[in-house]
Amino acid sequence: MIATAPLFNRSGGWLADPGFGVYVHIPFCLHRCHYCDFNTYEGQDSLFELYVDALVTEIERWAGATRPPTSIFFGGGTPTLLAARDLRRILEAITRRMGLSPGAEVSIECNPETVDEPKFEALLAAGFNRFSIGIQSLMPHVLRGLGRTHSAERALESLAAARRAGVADLNADLIYGSPWERPEDWARSLEGVLGEQPDHVSAYALTVEERTPLHTLVATGRVRDVDPDVQAERHALADECFGKAGYERYEVSNWCLPGRASAHNLLYWSAGDYLGFGAGAHGHLDGRRWWTVKLPREFISAVARGACTEEGAEVLDHEQRGPEALMLGLRLASGIDVGAFNARFGDGCLSDRAGVISDIVGAGLLEQSGSHLRLAPGATMVANEVICRLL
Amino acid sequence: MDQAHQRAIAVIAHIDHGKSTLSDRLLQLTGTVGAREMRAQYLDRMDLERERGITIKAAAVRMSYLAADGATYQINLIDTPGHVDFSYEVSRSLAACDGVLLLVDAAQGIEAQTLTNLYLAVDAGLEVIPILNKIDLPAAQPDKYAAEMAALIGCDESDVHRISAKTGEGVPELLEAIVARVPPPTGNPEAPLRALVFDSIYDTYRGVIAYMRVIDGRIRLSDPIRFMATGVEVDADEIGVMAPHLEPVPMLDTGEVGYLIAGIKEVRLAKVGDTVTALGAPASHPLPGYREPKPMVYAGIYPVDGDDFPLLRDALDKLKLNDAALVYEPESSTALGFGFRCGFLGLLHMEIVRERLEREFRLALIATAPSVAYEVELTEGATRVVRNPTEMPDGGSIASVHEPYVSAMIVTPSEYVGTVMQLCQGRRGELDEMHYLSPERVEIRYNMPLAEIIFDFFDQLKSQTKGYASLDYEPVGSKASSLVRVDVLLNQQPVDAFSTIVHRDKAYDYGKTMTERLRKLIPRQLFDVPIQAAIGSRIIARETVKAKRKDVLAKCYGGDVTRKRKLLERQKEGKRRMKQIGSVEVPQTAFIEALRLEADGSKP
Repeated sequence: MIATAPLFNRSGGWLADPGFGVYVHIPFCLHRCHYCDFNTYEGQDSLFELYVDALVTEIERWAGATRPPTSIFFGGGTPTLLAARDLRRILEAITRRMGLSPGAEVSIECNPETVDEPKFEALLAAGFNRFSIGIQSLMPHVLRGLGRTHSAERALESLAAARRAGVADLNADLIYGSPWERPEDWARSLEGVLGEQPDHVSAYALTVEERTPLHTLVATGRVRDVDPDVQAERHALADECFGKAGYERYEVSNWCLPGRASAHNLLYWSAGDYLGFGAGAHGHLDGRRWWTVKLPREFISAVARGACTEEGAEVLDHEQRGPEALMLGLRLASGIDVGAFNARFGDGCLSDRAGVISDIVGAGLLEQSGSHLRLAPGATMVANEVICRLL
Repeated sequence: MDQAHQRAIAVIAHIDHGKSTLSDRLLQLTGTVGAREMRAQYLDRMDLERERGITIKAAAVRMSYLAADGATYQINLIDTPGHVDFSYEVSRSLAACDGVLLLVDAAQGIEAQTLTNLYLAVDAGLEVIPILNKIDLPAAQPDKYAAEMAALIGCDESDVHRISAKTGEGVPELLEAIVARVPPPTGNPEAPLRALVFDSIYDTYRGVIAYMRVIDGRIRLSDPIRFMATGVEVDADEIGVMAPHLEPVPMLDTGEVGYLIAGIKEVRLAKVGDTVTALGAPASHPLPGYREPKPMVYAGIYPVDGDDFPLLRDALDKLKLNDAALVYEPESSTALGFGFRCGFLGLLHMEIVRERLEREFRLALIATAPSVAYEVELTEGATRVVRNPTEMPDGGSIASVHEPYVSAMIVTPSEYVGTVMQLCQGRRGELDEMHYLSPERVEIRYNMPLAEIIFDFFDQLKSQTKGYASLDYEPVGSKASSLVRVDVLLNQQPVDAFSTIVHRDKAYDYGKTMTERLRKLIPRQLFDVPIQAAIGSRIIARETVKAKRKDVLAKCYGGDVTRKRKLLERQKEGKRRMKQIGSVEVPQTAFIEALRLEADGSKP
């Protein structure tokens, strides 16, 4: 067990010590969105109680390494589809089993339909201190296209309700570049969300994932495919609007007010360690990445049998960890701190790639600035091109 | 068998006009194949089977026929390949015959191919027995087509046999006509041996099996013999006949048709058209008409996976054993890697070879657009043959370019005459002659550059005439043409696989089509990529692949870094397999796709 981590740095930069995280997956939704390929299921209300029990047991019996978490993240699915007391039970199981670092960020994803002021209050009381609301759009026809069943008003109201309940750390999730979205739609969604002054905004380009209703619609020509050029324009518009409103982009798709970056997010991008609990959750400890069985029923029965819930794992050797960390770290606007990166992953990773790196720097896609190596501002939206050359 | 009682015939027919069924009836009526053994398409099936461990090809079948006059005749039925690419082979098969059965579907009438072969037979002075088949079909119009055939070969309509090969109606009469009208062979039994090779195939166990007809003299088992064109000297290890199964015999007499096995390892040593003579008493002159197979169509053939190059080489070496006409030499392309420039008799031959390479050797292949051999006269006086567009010298050093021409014969219902003429003229065709076979059907001859035929001419002809027109063509020398090489440049770098030689008037269309096609196939890069078509340094068409603006994964869902890394690793792997043309990364599939589209006939 390592001594308590210092108060977390949430400036948004790459972290030499990313802390320790816990991810909890709640694989249930009221309604599955058309674009969603996440591990989530509708109409399994009868499993909620068993699932919460299984999660608590799984957390309690965790035998691997732990530290008091610097961040905990409840994702889904729709975590807030569960009652606040259930969510509290799970959170308490974690803190009981592994403690909690002072100043830790405890986030939960919320769907506007499943939260109101009393629920926020209950969750705050349970220990959650950062709330991430899936707004996605404020235009009815875009929401309809995406398969969101809430109204724009309800989405805005959930942000306001969070504030009224006393939420100090509020994130809004947005999706841009969907086939239904006109340029003015995106501008209006941005404007509407900024009106609520969230602390943090994640804006993701819609991706048409295989095995989703949206994919079928696109594949059969009933819905236009997304246009990457349009998405690049929408990203630029978002960056401009957020910038004017005082937000900084600290990662490809994430903007925040100063000091309000998501610790859990930074932990991912800084190649940190985290445990993953629940069906289809992913974890990472010191180069070992694993994931659990995806079906809630299987997860429940495995726990009940006292069996392992792990479905698969991979162990990255020293040669693989550096490039992966590079892949993650370059997504951050700060890039990586070269000295600290070398200290964590050895200097072979960067020195072996010195030639390629200098070519890419020469092409104006990477820049070396002081102690940091980062994507050139113009290269953010073509990061894959840069990163895959470095793998 | 004495010469007076021998007859050698071939059937000239369009595909599906009933050649196989007629053969079945002949085999049956002559008792060559017994009732128990009989199956439909008997000879075709034999081709696919193996007997005594030897590959059988029913290249010639001997039948014994007890005629109405009480005498028994030996009728040899010699097979002919049915396509224009093999017109030389057809001519050799016909040279081994004394007469032909001109078999025409009574519901379809005569087709271009049949006409060509008919003309070959008439030129060879063979007796022609006209036959209308399928008279039992409701759609049959025997009177109409009998008139057409009578007019063609200059006989009386009543001379046209009307049969149904399916029911056997009219076939006994036909057998009598064969005996009565086809003349017996006229060779000299006492002259030195001259046997005409009219087909030869390669068998893994026995080597080459040569099918031949003894024109003069006789051949005996174990005779030392010599192939006069290739100079190969061997012993006749086995001679025999097909009746229809292989039957070794001690001797083949003048006029007889049979096979020869002599431990020859490749068909190019026992070529179609060659003359076999005896070493002991050799003939002074070979039989006339031998020709070296001459490739007319060239294409680069490349393995889709570069690692398969050695496999492709081995496969071609093996095919060559059985295909005297196939020629190939290694070449390399920046776009496609290592492959072979192959020469073929024609498009069908190319398709057959490619199909065999893919099916028998399980190779995934890509072929460049087919081209012809151009004769280029240089200003300095030398002449160069260009088989690959990239070998075309610069415009300034060229005095003239000659390209091969063919006489294309098209038989079409008269309502499509305008359509056909328009198509031919669009392909630089010059009308040679046109005549009506009947009021409804026309034979049109155009002189056209072969290069215009080998792209999609046949497909266009078929689609524009609802499938009714038929095509045949034969080489008729070469002509000087205003030809240019069009190069396709990617970010200023030429892509060799897309260089082509076209008529000056068509250069723009080609350039425009290829640049547009490539614009859709070349993935966007981090910078704008111009795609240009050029004649020398003059740009004639241009498209641009705009720089990509977004290529980034949206998020890392639930900490699933593995998936993210795999996506990027796949992207990196894709990059690794890309060809670098200058600074542009192009997936091999883009070249392949562009060439495939071309092969599919979307060429201007």
